[in-house]
Amino acid sequence: METKDQKKHRKKNSGPKAEKKKKRHLQDLQLGDEEDARKRNPKAFAVQSAVRMARSFHRTQDLKTKKHHIPVVDRTPLEPPPIVVVVMGPPKVGKSTLIQCLIRNFTRQKLTEIRGPVTIVSGKKRRLTIIECGCDINMMIDLAKVADLVLMLIDASFGFEMETFEFLNICQVHGFPKIMGVLTHLDSFKYNKQLKKTKKRLKHRFWTEVYPGAKLFYLSGMVHGEYQNQEIHNLGRFITVMKFRPLTWQTSHPYILADRMEDLTNPEDIRTNIKCDRKVSLYGYLRGAHLKNKSQIHIPGVGDFAVSDVSFLPDPCALPEQQKKRCLNEKEKLVYAPLSGVGGVLYDKDAVYVDLGGSHGFQESEEVRPTHELVQSLISTHSTIDAKMASSRVTLFSDSKPLGSEDIDNQGLWMPKEEKQMDLKTGRVRRKAIFGDEEDESGDSDDEDDEEMSEGDRLENSSSDDEEEEEDAEMTDKQYMSGKGIKRPKLEMEEDVEVDLPAFADSDDDLERSSVEEEAEEADDSSEEEDSTAEEGKNILESKAVRKGSKPELLQTNDLSNSLNLEKSLTMKKATLTTSDSGHCTAEEAFASEDESEENSSLSREKDSENEEVIRKKFPKPSQVVSGQKSGSENLVDETSDIEDLLKEEEDYKEENNYSTETSGALKWKEDLSRKAAEAFLRQQQATPNLRKLIYGTVTEDDEEEDGDTGEELGGLFRVSQPARECKHKADSLDCSRFHVEAPHDWDLEEVMNSIRDCFVTGKWEEDKDAAKILAEDEELYGDFEDLETGDVHKGKSDPDTQVEDVEEEVKEVDPSAEESAKKKHLDKKRKLKEMFDAEYDEGESTYFDDLKGEMQKQAQINRAEFEDQDDEARVQYEGFRPGMYVRIEIEDVPCEFVLNFDPHYPIILGGLGNSEGNVGYVQMRLKKHRWYKKILKSRDPIIFSVGWRRFQTIPLYYIEDHNGRQRLLKYTPQHMHCGATFWGPITPQGTGFLAIQSVSGVMPDFRIAATGVVLDLDKSIKIVKKLKLTGFPYKIFKNTSFIKGMFNSALEVAKFEGAVIRTVSGIRGQIKKALRAPEGAFRATFEDKLLMSDIVFMRTWYPVSIPAFYNPVTSLLKPVGEKDTWSGMRTTGQLRLVHGIKLKPNKDSLYKPIVRQKKHFNSLHIPKALQKALPFKSKPKTQAKAGKTPKDRLRPAVIREPHERKILALLDALSTVHSQKMKKAKEQRHLHNKEHFKVKQKEEEEKLKRQKDLRKKLFRIQGQKEKRNQKSSLKGPGEQSM
Amino acid sequence: MATQAHSLSYTGCNFLRQRLVLSTLSGRPVKIRKIRARDDNPGLRDFEASFIRLLDKITNGSRIEINQTGTTLYYQPGLLYGGSVEHDCSVLRSIGYYLESLLCLAPFMKHPLRIVLRGVTNDQVDPSVDVLKATALPLLKQFGIDGESFELKIVRRGMPPGGGGEVFFSCPVRKVLKPIQLTDPGKIKRIRGMAYSVRVSPQMANRIVDSARSILNKFIPDIYIYTDHMKGVNSGKSPGFGLSLVAETTNGTFLSAELASNPQGQGAAVLPEDLGRNCAKLLLEEIYRGGCVDSTNQSLALLLMTLGQQDVSKVLLGPLSPYTIEFLRHLKSFFQIMFKIETKPCGEELKGGDKVLMTCVGIGFSNLSKTLK
Repeated sequence: METKDQKKHRKKNSGPKAEKKKKRHLQDLQLGDEEDARKRNPKAFAVQSAVRMARSFHRTQDLKTKKHHIPVVDRTPLEPPPIVVVVMGPPKVGKSTLIQCLIRNFTRQKLTEIRGPVTIVSGKKRRLTIIECGCDINMMIDLAKVADLVLMLIDASFGFEMETFEFLNICQVHGFPKIMGVLTHLDSFKYNKQLKKTKKRLKHRFWTEVYPGAKLFYLSGMVHGEYQNQEIHNLGRFITVMKFRPLTWQTSHPYILADRMEDLTNPEDIRTNIKCDRKVSLYGYLRGAHLKNKSQIHIPGVGDFAVSDVSFLPDPCALPEQQKKRCLNEKEKLVYAPLSGVGGVLYDKDAVYVDLGGSHGFQESEEVRPTHELVQSLISTHSTIDAKMASSRVTLFSDSKPLGSEDIDNQGLWMPKEEKQMDLKTGRVRRKAIFGDEEDESGDSDDEDDEEMSEGDRLENSSSDDEEEEEDAEMTDKQYMSGKGIKRPKLEMEEDVEVDLPAFADSDDDLERSSVEEEAEEADDSSEEEDSTAEEGKNILESKAVRKGSKPELLQTNDLSNSLNLEKSLTMKKATLTTSDSGHCTAEEAFASEDESEENSSLSREKDSENEEVIRKKFPKPSQVVSGQKSGSENLVDETSDIEDLLKEEEDYKEENNYSTETSGALKWKEDLSRKAAEAFLRQQQATPNLRKLIYGTVTEDDEEEDGDTGEELGGLFRVSQPARECKHKADSLDCSRFHVEAPHDWDLEEVMNSIRDCFVTGKWEEDKDAAKILAEDEELYGDFEDLETGDVHKGKSDPDTQVEDVEEEVKEVDPSAEESAKKKHLDKKRKLKEMFDAEYDEGESTYFDDLKGEMQKQAQINRAEFEDQDDEARVQYEGFRPGMYVRIEIEDVPCEFVLNFDPHYPIILGGLGNSEGNVGYVQMRLKKHRWYKKILKSRDPIIFSVGWRRFQTIPLYYIEDHNGRQRLLKYTPQHMHCGATFWGPITPQGTGFLAIQSVSGVMPDFRIAATGVVLDLDKSIKIVKKLKLTGFPYKIFKNTSFIKGMFNSALEVAKFEGAVIRTVSGIRGQIKKALRAPEGAFRATFEDKLLMSDIVFMRTWYPVSIPAFYNPVTSLLKPVGEKDTWSGMRTTGQLRLVHGIKLKPNKDSLYKPIVRQKKHFNSLHIPKALQKALPFKSKPKTQAKAGKTPKDRLRPAVIREPHERKILALLDALSTVHSQKMKKAKEQRHLHNKEHFKVKQKEEEEKLKRQKDLRKKLFRIQGQKEKRNQKSSLKGPGEQSM
Repeated sequence: MATQAHSLSYTGCNFLRQRLVLSTLSGRPVKIRKIRARDDNPGLRDFEASFIRLLDKITNGSRIEINQTGTTLYYQPGLLYGGSVEHDCSVLRSIGYYLESLLCLAPFMKHPLRIVLRGVTNDQVDPSVDVLKATALPLLKQFGIDGESFELKIVRRGMPPGGGGEVFFSCPVRKVLKPIQLTDPGKIKRIRGMAYSVRVSPQMANRIVDSARSILNKFIPDIYIYTDHMKGVNSGKSPGFGLSLVAETTNGTFLSAELASNPQGQGAAVLPEDLGRNCAKLLLEEIYRGGCVDSTNQSLALLLMTLGQQDVSKVLLGPLSPYTIEFLRHLKSFFQIMFKIETKPCGEELKGGDKVLMTCVGIGFSNLSKTLK
């Protein structure tokens, strides 16, 4: 019945499956693919020309390699920071609307006013920080440096505007982020065709700027003042799936786009001096690279600062925790924008408004977070609650000057409680950073409402605060009971470890403490049980100890004190307790022990007898003794006061100390192993922080205290004093890197020799490296094989292992571990086979590129794995604050204008600086004037550069490099060529791009970017030279030698230039020989020819130009609100001249005048007589008389006619005229006649032709008809015949 | 507004080299006060002055200010310049004293460094040039500093107190360093050594070799100790002899030990047999300490790890020497870098004492001096 309902299966006719099937079918038929064609017709694919083949191969390889990018290590953190989306465009293009629509699309919330960055959760793995960028060039430059994605809004009804191109150019210089164009105002087009055309035009122009095929998005129109939902949704989809390529500058520098700013300055200071430097804290997601505490940062628009403190906070806009589901639920669609008042607080110019549950987002955080956060924090923390409580103890004392370790400082400030204070004058709510103690006093229950905006950690903290406080009190009481009032030696701080150590160490310590105690007790119990088995070992131990017992008493006393110390608190500050650490002692400790041991030996001698036994057990080895001595002696001073207490405890811990401090030692390694394992575990637990403390724990104190504040109060109760003597000793001792052996082993003993046996190839190898073992395994794997040639069948030896397996097969059901091992073995086998296979088949393919990529990947994996399992607090110590964390950065000495003129619309960027990037020096770069910039740039004109994070004004010199490497100064930049530029400014790594603009203030009519380029070199010395011509005049001329004066002023100067090349203007070359005595500065010079007195002699020299040390950061953020784009720095000389109306007085000689050419007069050529004679006749000047002068005898006499003759002549003339006229007429007439005759003839001819034509026509017609007839008849003929 | 990186301040003359080297690399000025202030002979010694001069030679634009008594030193680093340099080292310390710092700085020069150092090549205090050649150079190679021009040559040997030795060192320039993962030292496969003698009987070297072999042969058969007897002008100005031993492992780790005779006129005469035996024992001691890096080069390895890319580098060391510990502190104050320090207990294996695994993330240092063309 059911079968009827089912549809009949239909064969697929299209789609990949069907295609595959078809292919298979074709393959079966032996036709189809190229492969088969190759097989079918191998001749067609044979190699025709080896050269061509090589070429084509080469080409394909070239193309392949071109596609490669240099592989980089993927350093993106697991939880990346939000992506910075910069919405950019000229005014009135719809930026704010777009941001609002996007936020509404992602979070279903509507923000009324957007100021500053807005962070939203856009997907399971992605968050966005959206920020608007106006057309102030400062803002454009800053945001281009931090942008991951730029939404470039373009008003389609208007077309591209200058800002768009400027921004694109800025982006190109500072690393090109992803750029997506968005066309708006598309509804203003009336005709569809026009719209289409515009779209196409804009798209292609956009492509030429970005890259062909760059995405351009169209927002077709507005509905109720918003863009269409579907389009915004699509845009959102595009943004959330977009992939990014790492940009060099961004990945190598940490940076923060601050989304919150607070003024932490003491209100009293402000009251007394409103212009005092401020202390501010800035909040934001850390991006780029790891940020180290106390590092240098630059805030573009403000200046360079040293970070006084960094702490990380819980993420205010966290990604959803579980990733299983497909989409986010409403609760997870968070939005965080403190500057625009989302997330609880609204910042106005002079007030902060706390939103009490108005907006959706805030409610959310209120409702969901408490439980959420608490659970989350419980899950995420790696330390137990009591460890946390213990660690929180520190805050009790941190209100006074912290102990000098910067880490403790950290701890105090990591999560300061914040308290809102209402300033009565202004009505402004201030958030004051308050530490543990203050809070105790104030007990701020009424402020708790306000604290909601401060993130969830506070909730968690406050919940456990009270208990912690109590605990703290108890603990500290206990701790400080003994030490009250006594000045403590610096190195002796076992008890107050919690106070003077980095925070991470505390928690660890407490963890350790608890674990150590437990472990020790366990070990204790177990060891007692095992005592019988370990009897022998102990005996050996004791015998050793006895041998050592003969050591001087001093040792023992020290041992005693050491043991006491141990027993008192198991937190081991110094790593001196175990053998392994004997080497870790610093010289300082050694000195300490020497100094103090003598004084203290007498004190402790009394106790000796009691503790001797214990001591002997404890310190069986010489190195141990040494170490004990060191640490012990330091502690003795303090010990005397509370030895009584300790003695009681001693009994309890006696045994446990045995095991925790005793090391296995090289001699007795074969003793009971389980105990050893426990020991090793313990020791590892202790030693790590010990060593760390030894290295990092005390030194910070040293440094700070050396700076002078030795009398600092500690916790308000104690004074830290330091044994100055030791310090001096250490400070001035020998500087040597050799590590001398303090307690050499006796290498003649067999045991000692055995202890390093395995360090040699001759020793025992590890399981996985032992050749014999590997061989055996291989045999097991490849044991069975058949020799095909001989037909022999080799059977692998059935190892005892395999035999056991066979035997065990029956037992397997019973023994799960055996099964496990078998499984593992099987897997191993498989893996090995796979490796073999890979090695055989994949190896050939791997190229250099693949190898490199693999290496990078491996490194990335190592990077990820290394600190994965550590909690953030410890991690931060090692690798710095990693990108993706939400951090709070405190900065001191910020100019008050930064706070007073704070405008949330302007982005605050904290750009981390690398090493020595904060220094100032000479920077050389390659520069090219932008082709769209109208003017050329002049050397020594101040110009604003944007390099790295910075924007600053400086005075560059332009130069060009000659062929011999000389850098010659240029007055102006070349028009269409690169040139060099050098300026005095902040050092930036080579390869960093930069741009230059003439001014950042106001709106310039044209394209504002004046030049672009790249940093080439950083140097401390200047090499730019300019040409200098020294001129002189000859005052005495011999043959080729001349005396020249006026070039130098003294003989010394001449001496400097002896041998230099000189030249006259006419091109006669010469050389300076020697100075002359007579006129000062004159010299003798030789030339290749004789000079004239009128010659000018000159020498070409090169004069180094000094670069003005002018560096002026653009402090645009310090300008008052609304005037931030009016920063103006030093003006150019041209501008100054214009303002003051100073005309430039030109050099008269340099002026251009109309050129008047004088008539050239040539003299006749004069050939000397002698030469004339010698010349051949042809060349001899011919002495010809003038043609006009005929001699008189040649002149013919004039004929004078008689009147009669004249008459005759006149008549003849007339007659000939008449005749000629007649002839002319006749000729004309004849011509006419001829013409007419010709016409008649032509007519006749035509008629004749016509006639002939007609005739022919007739004839042809008849002929045709005849033919037709014939044809017809011929067609008919046969038909008729057949009929 | 040009804020200079705030300077660091220290007291005492100890670790002067570290401070100046790190200052040069980090670009932070350093001020050292109270240099032997309580001493009868206060102020900088000759060899330190020579070191500062050397630093001045290889940098460009550094500013050094020393007060009249020489007890206060202010050093504002310039850019590392490099090029061909010659330097006469003070004979109070051996060339190793200078060379150790040069090894730290040489990869980050503007021009590849080619330097001739004159002075004492082997003494009892500092690591000798032989040892540095055998251990530090392979270590640098691990970081990608390699090439034809990477060499360290002993042209002449000079023993204290006279000196007269000459060393040529050249090193290529790198923009970035590779991260390293040296967690397994491997097993020692061979031991090599150099027994040298100058201005004494050549027989001394042979006697040293025999005695050293007698001890080491118990562990490994592959031992070869070269004898190097320099004569004439190559033998420096003072007599002396000594031995340096290097153990090479399968994974390319070099551990070294060395011993030199007492300088002429100081201390009792040392028998070459004793010297050989003691040196061999020192090598065993070094092997006992173990690790992937020789104890003298610990700080060099750590420095280069710090100056790597922002990647994790790991190195297994023996117990940290006091010099290294101070170096770690200095690294922290100059570069804000902290190492993750894990103690690796020796366990049951017969591989000597406990080891320390040092892990750090590089600061992403790039050579600012190198020119981009």
